[in-house]
Amino acid sequence: MAEMEKLREMIINGNGKGIADHVVKLVDRGQTPGSILNDALIPAMDIVGDLYQKGEYFLPELLISARAMQRALDVIKPKLAEQGVKNVGKVVIGTVQGDLHDLGKNLVNMTLEGAGFEVIDLGVDVPPDKFVAAIKEHDPMVVGMSALITTTMPAMKETIEAITSAGLRSKVKIMVGGAPITSEYAVEIGADYYGPDSTDGKNYARDVATGKV
Amino acid sequence: MTTKERMLTALSLGQPDRVPVWELAFNEESIINIGKLLTADVPPVKLAHEMTMEEKLKLLELLYKITRELELDGLTSIHLFNRKIIDADHFEDDWGRISHVDRVGDAVTVKGPVAEPSDLKHLKIVHPQENEFLMLMASIGNLGKDVAQVLFAVGPFRESWSMMGGMENLFYYYKENPQFVKDLARIATDYILEIVDKGADLGADAVAISSDLAYNKSTLMSPRHYEEYIFPYHVEIVRHIHRRGMKAIKHSDGVMWPIMDYMVEAGFDGIHPIQPQCMDIGEVKAKYGKRICIMGNIDCTHLLTTGTVEEVEKAVKDTIAVAAPGGGYILSSSNTIHPSCKGENYVAMVKAARTYGIYPLEISG
Repeated sequence: MAEMEKLREMIINGNGKGIADHVVKLVDRGQTPGSILNDALIPAMDIVGDLYQKGEYFLPELLISARAMQRALDVIKPKLAEQGVKNVGKVVIGTVQGDLHDLGKNLVNMTLEGAGFEVIDLGVDVPPDKFVAAIKEHDPMVVGMSALITTTMPAMKETIEAITSAGLRSKVKIMVGGAPITSEYAVEIGADYYGPDSTDGKNYARDVATGKV
Repeated sequence: MTTKERMLTALSLGQPDRVPVWELAFNEESIINIGKLLTADVPPVKLAHEMTMEEKLKLLELLYKITRELELDGLTSIHLFNRKIIDADHFEDDWGRISHVDRVGDAVTVKGPVAEPSDLKHLKIVHPQENEFLMLMASIGNLGKDVAQVLFAVGPFRESWSMMGGMENLFYYYKENPQFVKDLARIATDYILEIVDKGADLGADAVAISSDLAYNKSTLMSPRHYEEYIFPYHVEIVRHIHRRGMKAIKHSDGVMWPIMDYMVEAGFDGIHPIQPQCMDIGEVKAKYGKRICIMGNIDCTHLLTTGTVEEVEKAVKDTIAVAAPGGGYILSSSNTIHPSCKGENYVAMVKAARTYGIYPLEISG
């Protein structure tokens, strides 16, 4: 339908102005919130993620598209809850203790939300026990950790150790990312996955949700 | 050659008598870790803003002792904003920007005075104050003019997004309101030009313009956006630095390939730090070595932190072999010497540069 195609294009092109009104119009015309999410928002953000990975989009385009998607999602979120539409899965995410950087983490959050996940964002400078408490409270399938600076990398290892000590390690998949992190380091500290960028992180979470990993 | 002549020769793409060694910055704890290898008389490990004046002076004296004893060819002094302490982790500068300080002293701006374009009308324009250059004054007073004195200043991109309390807040306007992005860059650039003037008046030899434009994957913004929103201001700043008789260095982490041509075109004399995880220094040397001085590349993420002295020595040897032939190379870490870098490894890096970096080089890639 042309109106759904228009919504997809608005997200891909980062046209956030008027997007909320457009979604309201779609709902009024009988489009279900579930189909708006699954047939417009998620496919549009997948295209944005692909353009970003191909180097055609950079951070501004990614952020602007994600903001447009967020505005659309805000309209349908209450309706999704009302109608009992389940999210794809839950992800607990945070920047590890000692590290105050949040741009990378925020990009992953937006990308995951654009893929239909519920994201519990613990913020920055998150101590290991807060990750543990959040896993107990929210029962996520994936935990994401971010670190931008070398000096805070050990906090990732400490967080994984705390999750293991709490007996929760087998309940969650752990993905890590950030400038100094490598796949070798992820293996070394016992993480399940290293994501070079937000799209990779989303793809991994999707693989977990669909039982591929 | 004096250490300063060595630095300036390399920045002019010439070949000095040996590969110069310099760092963009050292954290407080890093200075103490290296200093401990030279003297027992070191200040306690604290962040500068937690130190007494006596401890701060001791820290600076230790940095100068390191510079003299290791014969570093240049020293960077940071333009330090006046800070009003809000609480243990936050401070506010004269622009009204609030920053959160982490445990190693690095600050992240979390709130700025500009939330939307209309705020520019009420923005109180700030001018750099003399006391913000005390580090440069002390460095020149202590080490004299034989060492290349580099002033570290924040670039127009970071100054702009700091005004908005975060990079993403600025990026949203790239599409929505290009004129606002340019107005903000104009304010930032005018401020930086004043910093450049202060540095020149005090006797700096070079200005290092920081603020990352790239990360592990690519540039943060597209080359088109760089050209529109940052490049003209870089050109203006570099021209001013040159007019004031100094050299201009651009620092940015990450994969800078998409905008490397612009770095040259803007007139930067040096590009730092060529992160080994992001760019191959041999390729940078081959493509840009005759047009811009290459600086850095000794890995401070893994090598200087967990590597052995032997591994550091090998990395320095290999890097000099590919980056130093013909001159136009200044050796430094791939970012800064942060507290996780071992003091022994830093000293090993400097010593290896002396072993393998004497011109004419006995090694080559």
